[in-house]
Amino acid sequence: MRIVISCCILFISIHAFSRPEMNPSADSFKIGWAMADVTPDKPVLVAGQFHARVSEGVMDPITATVLAMESVKNGKSSAAVMISVDWVSVSDGMRDASDFRGRLRELLKDLAPAVKGEDIMINATHSHAAPLVSETDPEKTYGISLKMMSPEKEMMSPKDYSEFAAQKLAVAVRQAWNSRAKGGISYGLSKAVIGYNRLQALQTGKSLMYGNTDAKDFSHIEGYENHNLNLMYTWNEKSELTGVVVNTPVPSQVSEHSYLLSGDFWNETRAEFKEKFGKNVYVLGQVSAAGDQSPHHMWGTKAEERMQKIMGFAEDGTTGRGALANRRMIAFRLTEATASILPYMKKNIEWNPPFAHKTEVIRLSRRLLGEQDLVDARKEIATWKAEYEKALAEAKADPEKMKTPRWYTSLTVHHSKYRRGESVLERYELEKKQPVLPVEIQVIRIGDMAIASNPFELYLDYGIRMLASSKATQTFIVQLAGSGTYLPTARSIAGGAYGAVPASTIMGPEGGNQLVENTLRIIEEVFSEK
Amino acid sequence: MKAIQRLSGLIIALFIGISEMTAATILVGAASTDITPRLPAALDGQMQVRIAKTAETPLTAQVVVMESVNGTKSENISVFVTCDIVTVPTELKEMIQAAVKKQIPALDSRKIIVNASHTHTGGVVRDGWYTIPEGVTKVRDYQQFIAEQVSKAVATAWNSRERGSVAWGLGYAKVAFNRRAVYAGGNAQMYGKTDGPDFRGIEGYEDQSINSLFFWNASGKLLAVCINVASPAQIVEGRSALNADYWHPLREKLKKQYGNDLAVLGWIGAAGDQTPRPMYEKDADRRMLSLSKGNYTKGRGNRNTDFSNEDYMDEVAGRIVKSVNETYELVKKDQYTELPVMHEVKSFDVKARVVTSEEKEACLKSIAEDKGDAQRAVAFSRRIAWNQEVVDRFEKQKTNPQPMYTVEAHVLRIGDIAVCTNPFELYTEFGIQLKARSKALQTFIIQLVGPGTYVPTKKATEGGHYSAIVQSNRVGYEGGQELVDNTLNMVNSFWND
Repeated sequence: MRIVISCCILFISIHAFSRPEMNPSADSFKIGWAMADVTPDKPVLVAGQFHARVSEGVMDPITATVLAMESVKNGKSSAAVMISVDWVSVSDGMRDASDFRGRLRELLKDLAPAVKGEDIMINATHSHAAPLVSETDPEKTYGISLKMMSPEKEMMSPKDYSEFAAQKLAVAVRQAWNSRAKGGISYGLSKAVIGYNRLQALQTGKSLMYGNTDAKDFSHIEGYENHNLNLMYTWNEKSELTGVVVNTPVPSQVSEHSYLLSGDFWNETRAEFKEKFGKNVYVLGQVSAAGDQSPHHMWGTKAEERMQKIMGFAEDGTTGRGALANRRMIAFRLTEATASILPYMKKNIEWNPPFAHKTEVIRLSRRLLGEQDLVDARKEIATWKAEYEKALAEAKADPEKMKTPRWYTSLTVHHSKYRRGESVLERYELEKKQPVLPVEIQVIRIGDMAIASNPFELYLDYGIRMLASSKATQTFIVQLAGSGTYLPTARSIAGGAYGAVPASTIMGPEGGNQLVENTLRIIEEVFSEK
Repeated sequence: MKAIQRLSGLIIALFIGISEMTAATILVGAASTDITPRLPAALDGQMQVRIAKTAETPLTAQVVVMESVNGTKSENISVFVTCDIVTVPTELKEMIQAAVKKQIPALDSRKIIVNASHTHTGGVVRDGWYTIPEGVTKVRDYQQFIAEQVSKAVATAWNSRERGSVAWGLGYAKVAFNRRAVYAGGNAQMYGKTDGPDFRGIEGYEDQSINSLFFWNASGKLLAVCINVASPAQIVEGRSALNADYWHPLREKLKKQYGNDLAVLGWIGAAGDQTPRPMYEKDADRRMLSLSKGNYTKGRGNRNTDFSNEDYMDEVAGRIVKSVNETYELVKKDQYTELPVMHEVKSFDVKARVVTSEEKEACLKSIAEDKGDAQRAVAFSRRIAWNQEVVDRFEKQKTNPQPMYTVEAHVLRIGDIAVCTNPFELYTEFGIQLKARSKALQTFIIQLVGPGTYVPTKKATEGGHYSAIVQSNRVGYEGGQELVDNTLNMVNSFWND
């Protein structure tokens, strides 16, 4: 508790006081939507796996959806601009020098000066079939240059793609802001079974991320699952539906091994929503706390695949992990669950709800590494550095090999594993100087609901604690509103699965507890404001 | 591995011949009957005795008879019976079997599967469990009544059986909530508070799958549906009136659609640690319930809203019905009139939970406290007996340090699916293991085909509290694992071909 109290707040912004005074008689609530296509027109690196992937085409567009909200009360304006992008994460300077969010905020100073930097809440849907957005030299990340990966086709570098996307998003934000018009919102809780805990505890007490639940040593699913679906509907003055914020505890990574760019199940979801609710309806996808969740079925897969076939979702004849049938099934369930409460959402529109938006940078305790972690990391480095160097030497000795598509797969896996080891050693040194890490979190109050963001792949238990103790009637947790890294629970660290090991994490349970307590505190604060 | 080998040696071969792996023609009959006890009636399921003077809903038994015939030869007859009661004591099962045998001598009465929906607002079925006041329906009389009613319903179903068809499918509905909250100290609590600063998470998993098994007659009329939900029927468990809980509105909804004579069997999946009521975010669920019923009044702070009401039963029933209907529409095109059917009943021993001397002492202390107060001694007679049973087990362990518990389990193969039963309130994680390791396309698990008692996981045992303490368990997590392994051996042997 003392640690929490001592967490010094670096930056607080209560937006109700950040905008110029307006006519007190003109209280209003305005909403604007926009969308940007941020699909690159050249091959890019695809983010999300240990190995590098050079994109080989486009399955469906990579998009960003923007929702701008402004509330004017007693002449004071407060705003929130929520952006969802079909990416694996959104760099924010927390993990390295890459700071896409910072660049976007910078661009908006000129392009949309009325939008304050701290108004922006940007989250990734966690598509693993989307471009890598990074300032870091790819050679440092994967151990070889883009030229070596793709000697014949020119690629767009992660840095160039980052700037390309920032420019597009800035325009979309301006468009959403400028198009805002009087409107209302309604919010509700529905249910959809689409996310599954992916950690499998074995009889030995150890855990695996994705194992075989039909093996004799499978004991149980390590943690909990959440099937709540938080929905916020927006309406124009004619009470016509204009968009839906869909907040669900499942990352969009059905097509996580794809070499074709894709927004994953959000692509099918957007199409289903347009079909069912109107072609002009926007869909903004948010991932609730879901660090230990995935859209992959961990058990009961045969029965599920049969149902997908009967429902006509397996048009290409394939079911099972990674199949498009899963994306269609998820889209179907999300659409059905959204439709099921729509009739009474339409009857309960709030036209001028209480509104507040608070952005804070809090300082969270890092997960401190021990001597054994260093021993393990050094072993990893020794093993994988040698493998990487051997593979690199072989490639250089035989340049023809580089003409074979995906030739670099194992080489880049070796390099990533070697780098993971090195990152542990670097962190060990860093922790001595910086035992805490500044992290931006945000809370938006709209009526009796709250939207609370964090930058992590947050394990579900932390999210459940937030939901259980939140002062709001309903709380949307938004994870990956930043650059990610898993934030595991104590039980998961004991299990030792990927996602809970030192190289996958910056924070541990201590930082997680602080995050929960600070989030709850800020929610309480925004609900205490008059 | 050695333990499993040892265990297999302990299996008592009460093997009933397995039908050959050929497709057989299916004959199906269904019926339902009223088993509401005469009022006033004592209610089963809580520590204190409650007397019902009213019946808010009827209590029923729902029956399906399924015969598989090869030519003129009857190869197997299975009978499924769901009763709106809290559990199925062995003596009640035997009374039902005897009564049915009297009606239909040709039937192998061991193949009658009787399960409880686990309503906590049904009549008392456990003789000697409570002190029943004078003038209130006696337990033996009620047991006899159930047996007679069920046997008549089975006879009706049997006599009306005809060529039919069967289909199965999987859907989802949010019904189950794991009811055990875990705290910073590592301790757990059933129905513990989740909005305090020391709350750390929900202890275990949840299973939201809704498995449905449909039966039609030859003219295409839906006769029965067996609905497998991994959450017990105890939304209004604290009331002092008879009530079939969420199965009542659920049956009414389905009867409205498919006809008044539809049999709706409520098969509760592995759900020892589950409840149908929310454990967190109650404010949001309460609001949605009010919005859907059109009686919402704005305002926060209703986090502790009680969900033990008709509206919430209706909501849960509606969710399940929606899922069943969706599945029905999909799988009605995939019906089977001929399919392989096998039914095996086995008894085997699993390790009983051993009582430690510390646990025995704690029970003795509790007994002394309850008996020390005359009023408490009467009001909590069930708790005294609950603790005394542990003391007695400890005494028996002096001559048998590792007692065993005999389990009767049914396993069926019906086409591509498996149905397996156990007598316990089995924690969900064991059910997930069964489903995950089963070779069947889809595995239905029916708990409380027998007298009950919780089977907790290792994690729950360490966390403690009701349902994971020695008073609540005849079988611990080791026995639970043996139950899973033995059941899977039975299930997977049906798919060896």
